[in-house]
Amino acid sequence: MLLALTDKRTGLANGFLLLALVAASLSSMSLGTISVAPLDVLGSLLGKADPMTDFVVKELRGSRILAGLLSGAALAVAGCLMQTLARNRLATPGIIGIDNAATAFAVASVVGIGLSLAPSAMALAGAAAATSLAFGLAGANGTRGYRFIVAGIGIGAIAGAATQVMLSRVAIDAANAAYPWTVGSLNARSGHSVVILSIGLVLAAILLAIINRGLNTLQFSDAVAIALGTRLRAIRILGLGLSVLLTGLAVSVCGPVGLVALLAPELARTLCRPGKVPLLASGLAGATFMVLADLLGRTLFSPLEIPVGIITAIVGSPYLLWILLKPSNRSLT
Amino acid sequence: MVPNRAVASRASFPSRLLTTWLVAGFLLSLVVMASLLYGAGPVSPGDAFAALLGNGPDNAHFVVSELRGPRTMIGLVTGLALGLAGALLQSMTRNPLAEPGLLGVSAGSGFAVALAILFGASNATLTTFVAQLGALAGCALVIAATRVQGLGNDPVRLILAGATLSGLLLALTSMLMLMDQRAADEIRFWITGSIAGKPLTLLSSTLPAIAVGLLIIAMVARPLAAMALGEKAAVGLGHHPGRIRFLITLSVALLVGSATALAGPLIFVGLVVPFIARAFAGPDIRKTLWLCLPIGPAVVLGADVLSRLIAAPSELPLGVVTALIGAPVLLAIVRAGRMPSL
Repeated sequence: MLLALTDKRTGLANGFLLLALVAASLSSMSLGTISVAPLDVLGSLLGKADPMTDFVVKELRGSRILAGLLSGAALAVAGCLMQTLARNRLATPGIIGIDNAATAFAVASVVGIGLSLAPSAMALAGAAAATSLAFGLAGANGTRGYRFIVAGIGIGAIAGAATQVMLSRVAIDAANAAYPWTVGSLNARSGHSVVILSIGLVLAAILLAIINRGLNTLQFSDAVAIALGTRLRAIRILGLGLSVLLTGLAVSVCGPVGLVALLAPELARTLCRPGKVPLLASGLAGATFMVLADLLGRTLFSPLEIPVGIITAIVGSPYLLWILLKPSNRSLT
Repeated sequence: MVPNRAVASRASFPSRLLTTWLVAGFLLSLVVMASLLYGAGPVSPGDAFAALLGNGPDNAHFVVSELRGPRTMIGLVTGLALGLAGALLQSMTRNPLAEPGLLGVSAGSGFAVALAILFGASNATLTTFVAQLGALAGCALVIAATRVQGLGNDPVRLILAGATLSGLLLALTSMLMLMDQRAADEIRFWITGSIAGKPLTLLSSTLPAIAVGLLIIAMVARPLAAMALGEKAAVGLGHHPGRIRFLITLSVALLVGSATALAGPLIFVGLVVPFIARAFAGPDIRKTLWLCLPIGPAVVLGADVLSRLIAAPSELPLGVVTALIGAPVLLAIVRAGRMPSL
């Protein structure tokens, strides 16, 4: 972590991403159905504005942006972790079905089929279940190899179908309450899950700072990593656990917002010094993506609001397709 | 020794295939009966049976001839089209995971229909035509993608690309649904995949396209079997791979487009049906196609019967049931030994 800060290029990248995040958050606070002048936004944040502006900026938009920021960062860090562990830039939680399973469990809790646990806990359980299932089905290959991904696609399909079954079986009110989770939206967040998510993020940041060096060595082959003194097993389990934790908690806030976990680490890797795992930069980039996508969704067809999950899918899918279809791509799998 | 065995197996194959075919046909007729007799509604199987024989209460008669009869016929045609299309696409791309639903062909078809509904279409024939055009675009994309260097021999990347394309089209469809409430209701009814409550006129409007698709299959089955030996061998046997590929693309588009127009996007049917058929028919695509004829309708109708009974007295969308059946099959294919290949 300290090393990462002393490195000039990474430092610059992080500074740039932080600046972008602040700019995106401020513009998201000022734009919307009611426009607030940027100066008034700053005034409100500093505590000297009229109650009306204060309400719009802090109560309506501020809490929403905070939720988007935290969940975007969590999804991106989880994606970056899993890509590093699997040595495969396609292995992100969304692609291997963890998002969908977490959603299915969260929906189960909202519509009251499961136990009356909070959505956060249920989403976490779903994410863990999907991951262990993917591992069980992938056999000895672990996170490496193609089976992991195809197994994940299958699990995602089952979870998606299960979500639909639950939504079609319950009363329309409960279905409407659960619907935002199924597309990914910041409208349905509960303050409770946001608090849990921020606790999870702090915990993850501490643990990741501790295992950062080991994660960096994972980019070499197993033999090299072991020779460098990395305890591979421990790091893999801890990293995967953190990835599942962050994904589950983020889904409980914003639903399955796809492709943030893929795009943000890509951007971070481009900006940062090669050879390091850009966790911090990924988090910042993910938060920026999420805030920007939500801003787009709110303002593009105003007063109609497009859920943030649809925006990220439309923006991110072409990029993923480009990665997949690019000829002679050796860095995959 | 070896030639003898080859001759012997060739001699015994047709009768074995015939037995399998008859067993599958028998199973299909059972499923058809179940589809006519069982439902989520209050009509008992006994009454429905009586209605089939021409007597029985009026409501049973109505349910069987007006609701379950058309539904069963639409299910039969949908299953036939999807099963054959899956087998063709898998054989041509040499990829056992190449399924029209997974690769985004159904999603392309669905998006086209959603667009048409948004622009005010409700005429059944227009929907059929539009669904076929969308499927054709989706098919062309898939074929173009398999021609990309390296992607053709990499089933996982192809599937992932298909899943991404489907996700993109689904997101665009959801956005269309947000724009217009009337269209949203119509699209939502259609997009989960169901064969309930569709009029028989819809069926007759898709039949010509399905007939053309079947005709093309009859024409290209032999060259396609030759192509399984490799393109050079096929050229050596006097076939034209490019032309065959074009014809198959057309046929898959016609079949999937018609099935999507009938039942909405049903994923995994095109995966499950050829998977079962191949298990019995072996590597010859012609035998696989023959076996897909009874198995496809049996799978779709069986899933439809399940969709009525699982959640009775309400019904589940058929697309949900096929996904619940198909995803484990996908996992089984991936789990089975080494990298799957055709």
